[in-house]
Amino acid sequence: MGTKRYKGIEKKQARWGIAFVVPALIFFSVFNFYPILNAFYTSFYDRRALSKLKPKFIGLANYVRLFDPARADNPLSFYNSLKATLTFTVGTFIPLLIISLLLAILISNLSSNRAKRFLQISYYTPAILSSVVAATIWMLIFDPRGLGNQWMNLILNTPGVDHKWKTDPMMLQISTMLVYFWKYIGYFVILFITGLATIPSTIYEAATIDGANKNQTFWRITLPLLRPTVVLVSIMAMLQCLKTFSTQYMFYTNGSTRAPINVITFNIYITGIQDQYLGRASAMSVVLFVLMLVLTLFQFRTTKSGENIDY
Amino acid sequence: MQIQRTYNPINLLIYAFLLVMLFFTMTPIIFMITASMMTKNQILRMPFNWIPESLNWINFKRAIVGLDENYIFLRNILNSLIVSVTVAITTVLLGSLTGYGLAKFRFRGRNAIFIMIMATMMIPFEAIMIPLYMVVMKLRIQNTYVGLILPFLVSAFGIFQMRQYLSTFPTEFLDAARVDGMSELGIYWRIVLPNAKPVIATLSILAFRSQWDNLLWPLLVSQRDKMKTIPQYITAFAAERNTDEGAMMAAALIASIPMFVLFMSLTKYFIGGSAVYESRKG
Amino acid sequence: MKKSVFLILIIALLLPTAIFAAGTKDQAVDETKPVTINYWTHDDAARTKLENELIEKFQAANPHITVERSTRSAQKQIELVQTAFAANEGPDMFNLPIENQYAYITNGRVAPIDYVAAGFKSKQDMLDKYMDGILDTVTVDGEVYGLPLELTNWAIYVNKKVFASAGLDAEKDYPRTWEQMADVSEKLVIRDGDILVRRGFDFRYPYYLIMFVPMVEQLGGSLLSEDGKKAIINDDAWIKALTFMQEWGPLGRNLGSTTYQAPRYLFNADNNDIAMAHTGLYQEGRMKTENPAFFESDDWMVVPFPVFENAVKDVASAYYGHFFMVNADSDPAVQKATWKLIGFLLSHGEDYLTRGGNLIQPTKALLASDTLKNMPYSEVFINDMARANMVYYGSDSAEIQTQIRNAVESVMLSGESPQKALATLRSAVQEIIDERR
Repeated sequence: MGTKRYKGIEKKQARWGIAFVVPALIFFSVFNFYPILNAFYTSFYDRRALSKLKPKFIGLANYVRLFDPARADNPLSFYNSLKATLTFTVGTFIPLLIISLLLAILISNLSSNRAKRFLQISYYTPAILSSVVAATIWMLIFDPRGLGNQWMNLILNTPGVDHKWKTDPMMLQISTMLVYFWKYIGYFVILFITGLATIPSTIYEAATIDGANKNQTFWRITLPLLRPTVVLVSIMAMLQCLKTFSTQYMFYTNGSTRAPINVITFNIYITGIQDQYLGRASAMSVVLFVLMLVLTLFQFRTTKSGENIDY
Repeated sequence: MQIQRTYNPINLLIYAFLLVMLFFTMTPIIFMITASMMTKNQILRMPFNWIPESLNWINFKRAIVGLDENYIFLRNILNSLIVSVTVAITTVLLGSLTGYGLAKFRFRGRNAIFIMIMATMMIPFEAIMIPLYMVVMKLRIQNTYVGLILPFLVSAFGIFQMRQYLSTFPTEFLDAARVDGMSELGIYWRIVLPNAKPVIATLSILAFRSQWDNLLWPLLVSQRDKMKTIPQYITAFAAERNTDEGAMMAAALIASIPMFVLFMSLTKYFIGGSAVYESRKG
Repeated sequence: MKKSVFLILIIALLLPTAIFAAGTKDQAVDETKPVTINYWTHDDAARTKLENELIEKFQAANPHITVERSTRSAQKQIELVQTAFAANEGPDMFNLPIENQYAYITNGRVAPIDYVAAGFKSKQDMLDKYMDGILDTVTVDGEVYGLPLELTNWAIYVNKKVFASAGLDAEKDYPRTWEQMADVSEKLVIRDGDILVRRGFDFRYPYYLIMFVPMVEQLGGSLLSEDGKKAIINDDAWIKALTFMQEWGPLGRNLGSTTYQAPRYLFNADNNDIAMAHTGLYQEGRMKTENPAFFESDDWMVVPFPVFENAVKDVASAYYGHFFMVNADSDPAVQKATWKLIGFLLSHGEDYLTRGGNLIQPTKALLASDTLKNMPYSEVFINDMARANMVYYGSDSAEIQTQIRNAVESVMLSGESPQKALATLRSAVQEIIDERR
């Protein structure tokens, strides 16, 4: 009798749970699953954008071409894209993570609410700007006659030197990372601050009553409780960096070379939209997808985040 | 109030760091503001003169009047507002609904569904651009608000955040409400949502911002000038009037205002690290 | 558990495919039924104004036809039209540069001209009206697939004041050879350390098919062999041209680079930051709007495209065209209406020239007209066109241009040796033409 009622409630709850989840599921199947499956399907064909002919089935040929060792030299190869993407991701995501966490903590510990508010707003302001706008501003800054050179030369005391922000391969990569970092730092600071906000103040009160000082509170209570947020933010940051596109696109359309910044998404775009090789582009998309999946799972495992934190 | 008054060198370091970061983030923006009031030759001058020689409001006029002199920019701003606000609302509602379902209900396939939804975050947009475009065309929603909004109705990230946050929500409350006879939807609406304010605030800002900034999708969907959004306008402006940086900066400033206003009004929901709910145990 | 997950997945996947089951297109050919033409083109304030006017007149005269004209930036136009066609939802009418358009013909995406609908008496009547050979570029198997909106070539605009400030007399000292171009630029350049504050001339990156390939041709090289099967002919010519670019750039004499602002955008401002720009007749229209005082003054002139000192051929920078084309998959009634619109618009050649952005339509009438002759320096453009070729417009031209861009940038910006860059270029282009479908 008791178990029957329990099961009845369980079933009813389960139905409600499903009902709540179904709208999103339908949505995702139309706008996400279907397109990516379409891309997966296309990756086995030699499909050209404008061709009306039936695309030729070529099995794994697209994938083989991507990983063809004979092409490793070619600066526009997929190998190079992998390298460029990983360089960019590592170079951006780690500073983003560390500095945004640092900033969030420092800000939260400030005593003045006005200062907190001011700083939060200021750090987040780049994120408020449209990417197109941010691109325009930075293109002006990186112009050989712009602020970038002027200030580097001021700081390094090297008047008249062109630091080639947009042309030297290494500087170019650094420039893209700089712009990206600038754009997203505020975004992640906010995520961390929200995370900090979810730690109930009662815990801090209890700790103070128990005699913990600031340091101990931070290392033993705040950080561990912040762990799920850190995991969330680090995964988000990593995925964002792996998906970067508009930053590289903007540099390219403003005259920079393609090779150093030929990240996977950019390669996909040019291969598909400009060069019209849709099959090849789809194969690259699938590889990127798998890469992101693998890296995310890896992150999950290594940080072993618990889903529920019990206070 | 601080009781200690010693000049802790660590504090100085902290302040210095905060200031440097501040400088880094704000300078390009100040540049934008000053450039919007300058004439062409002042902007790329070496060395850059931070104070504009005169307040050149003409840049703003040129920005608003637009390439074809039809003030379409105002309509574009409206479009961006409509789309961004709608997406923010639906993201929060659907995200919280789904997140709640995943966090607090047990049903078969729950984890699998969650993983599948998370996997969508890993799909690069460029990969699905063409199939998505076909979807829009088949549904005949190009050049409509629906077309602009539809693919962004729900965000996997929103669901993730909500689920994360709601999983710590004490189930006793929910059960108590159920015993009291409240409907599931009622519980969601009256108990769960009001207690998720910080996450709602964060999510709505992020969703608004990501739509406000969306270029690639409106580029595909909106061909008619009347339905274009701000990023499209600015890109076209930049491409046509390539060296009218002053006007571009002016357009950018104008476009940033709504975002700024929104942000300012919602920040109180997550400033200060204060708890939003307290466990009423015991 | 697994079963229900599976079930959910199947439903999730089948749902969209059910929605997108392909329907069949209508085949009605009712000519009086109301039709809407989706016309996609690129941004150009002057032409937009003119065409909107003309379209209003057209709609008034043809009440059952509605025209939806939409614009986007030139680069996006190329990408978006292609995306739309790739999704089988292309616009009814569009224009693109010919090097991007040819692929549409070879892939059967555009329809051959409906001569009568477009206002001609016959095919021969049409061929007679246009400059000889110009329609060959859009003719395949005897059928013509587009009508030219404009034919453009670029010459060198010179700012006399900047020359004067360096102690030179533009009328006498303007560069006739590339070697002179480099030397003159050297005299005109103002630098702050490494940074160029004022340039003499700079190239029109990244349009290498239009400006770089002719330079190679001047030295006796070519992009493809006569039969089109072999890539990169005459290594010496190519290497010499690549070396010239290397010496031009930041690793050489530092006279210019790909990342400075494009000269044609700076030229009109007359702001003492550029002396020469490589651009078309349409620049005059923009000059008139942006800086009428400068336009009316005698401070600028146009000179022909320079030739290398030891050139084997006298080739000016290539000309390119934009053609109006019609989507072959559009409803036949729409197609007919579209050709009618195209014929109507193009019958206003003089308007396009004078107030539509200085566009030159390659009709015999316009080329002989006084209107054209009265445009400042038009004879320089006409003469340069006479000694130039049409830009390479094969269906893979965009890809090939990317490879050339890569080669030039690698020698200019990354210090690659011209020999190595050429080798990479050759294998890349050879692969592209071998893979042609």
